[in-house]
Amino acid sequence: MIRKILLGYDGSQAADDAFRFAVELAKKYTAELHLLAVARPPELGDDVETEAVIENSRRHYDRLLGQLDARLAGEGVAAQAHVVVGHPAEQIVRYADAHGIDHIVVGHRGHTLFERWLIGSVARQVIAYAHCAVTVVRTAQPSAQAGGRQ
Amino acid sequence: MTGIWAQAALWLGLALVATLLSIGLRVATALSEIVVGTIAQLLIGAALGGVLLAGDASWLKFLAGAGAIVLTFLAGAELDPAVFRHKWKEAGAVGLVGFVSPFLVCAAAAHYLLGWSTDASWLAGVAMSTTSVAVVYAVMLEFGLNRTDYGKTVLAACFVNDLATVLALGFLFSPFSLKTLVFVAVAVVVFAILPWLTPRFFHRFGGRPSELEAKFLMLCLFGMGALASWADSEAVLPAYLIGMVLAGTVGKDHALIRRLRTLTFGLLTPFYFIRAGSLVSVPALVAAPAGLLVLLLTKMLAKVVGVYPVTKLYRSPDREAAYTTLLMSTGLTFGTISALFGLSHGVIDEGQYSALVAAVVGSAVVPTLIANAFFMPRHLLDEAVDAGDPMPPVARPQPSARRGT
Repeated sequence: MIRKILLGYDGSQAADDAFRFAVELAKKYTAELHLLAVARPPELGDDVETEAVIENSRRHYDRLLGQLDARLAGEGVAAQAHVVVGHPAEQIVRYADAHGIDHIVVGHRGHTLFERWLIGSVARQVIAYAHCAVTVVRTAQPSAQAGGRQ
Repeated sequence: MTGIWAQAALWLGLALVATLLSIGLRVATALSEIVVGTIAQLLIGAALGGVLLAGDASWLKFLAGAGAIVLTFLAGAELDPAVFRHKWKEAGAVGLVGFVSPFLVCAAAAHYLLGWSTDASWLAGVAMSTTSVAVVYAVMLEFGLNRTDYGKTVLAACFVNDLATVLALGFLFSPFSLKTLVFVAVAVVVFAILPWLTPRFFHRFGGRPSELEAKFLMLCLFGMGALASWADSEAVLPAYLIGMVLAGTVGKDHALIRRLRTLTFGLLTPFYFIRAGSLVSVPALVAAPAGLLVLLLTKMLAKVVGVYPVTKLYRSPDREAAYTTLLMSTGLTFGTISALFGLSHGVIDEGQYSALVAAVVGSAVVPTLIANAFFMPRHLLDEAVDAGDPMPPVARPQPSARRGT
């Protein structure tokens, strides 16, 4: 039984597709939906700029999650939204553990080679370290329908 | 003016390239600006002559210097006075250890291993003694430690560490004279008055499109900077202290801080960091890489020796303690400010400056790479799947022990 679903959201097209999937899933199982956005400081940071990036990123995600809240208004899904700071994969897994999440939904998006080398893909790390089921939603291609991989 | 506009366009073009690089690589813009400055000097200098970049033009030095001053002010304004008041004893002790340990070890390494003069060695100690408050703050947020006693103490300690660095830079190389006394006396009065005067002044006249707040703060920063320079000290010293004394008032005005950041990151600091990078001599670095390696390794070692035991004292778990310690080894802003101060005051030569800046850049890069390589994702590392698994199973059954189900 799925009672709590966690969506890792970053505002990308892939995350938007993941949001739609998570809402469907939440409706099907009458599950609570947790929306989590992660404000990322620079990998290699410096004094004032790191603080500025975190603040800016938090404001950005607060706005995005507010928009998701509005979209959820008529869906009849119980939801709560949070913005945390850190590396996305780690924070998603950490949040899932702390809140007893049964199922994590994340979008899959491309990363630069440098990012992959430095921290790896978010979806890949969530899959590797999560203690619950994970669905990775790939962005719809023009020639094929999007599908969740579980 | 044509030449000046062309040079300004060239420098801002470099700043734009650096910003795009920093976005692509997810690194601090300051870091990419230093690197772009170094490479630009190397390439443009070799192809067209060093005159084209003209890093010594007075207008450019002013913009760069103003960038360092305002950036330092903003760094000071990040202080949380309530936490600092609550934890000043512990933070003072930890911060002083965090400063003294790399300061003495790096100065000794520069003197005895690299054969630098006494003053140059002290300057190396100062440049390598810094830490980056915001980087540590980000780590505390990640671990959720920013609300704990441990997190607050470490953060306040970072301020003490940087304050000690700035004080050392401001007073260690200036001759003690009547000018010093005048500077200190005026500074004490200004620092005492500003927290009272500033919010009242802003409340009465501020909040208008004429940006009175920014003008007032610039007046204070440049005025005290001029006094510090007159006393043969360093302008960033009063800037940091003004930031700290105004942290509880101006520092909490997020809209004003954001406007100041726009001015700083958009115009001033690109000139500062690109100039700092352009003064690095790559041939000198290649010819004598020992300086870079010795300074970088001794800084990291000294920070570990000084900070790690303190984190353990607070019973921080091993991996969090190691991660925090590693990231306390970063310190781009004050490191480059110290190095540039040394070069412009003739304390160090071009080769020593190059080694110092490269070590400062290295201290922002190497500890983070180590931390991410060995401590990611940190809190679950012990339960990590087999590293050899190229693509672990997509869905993983939930271990019952973890949830107690």
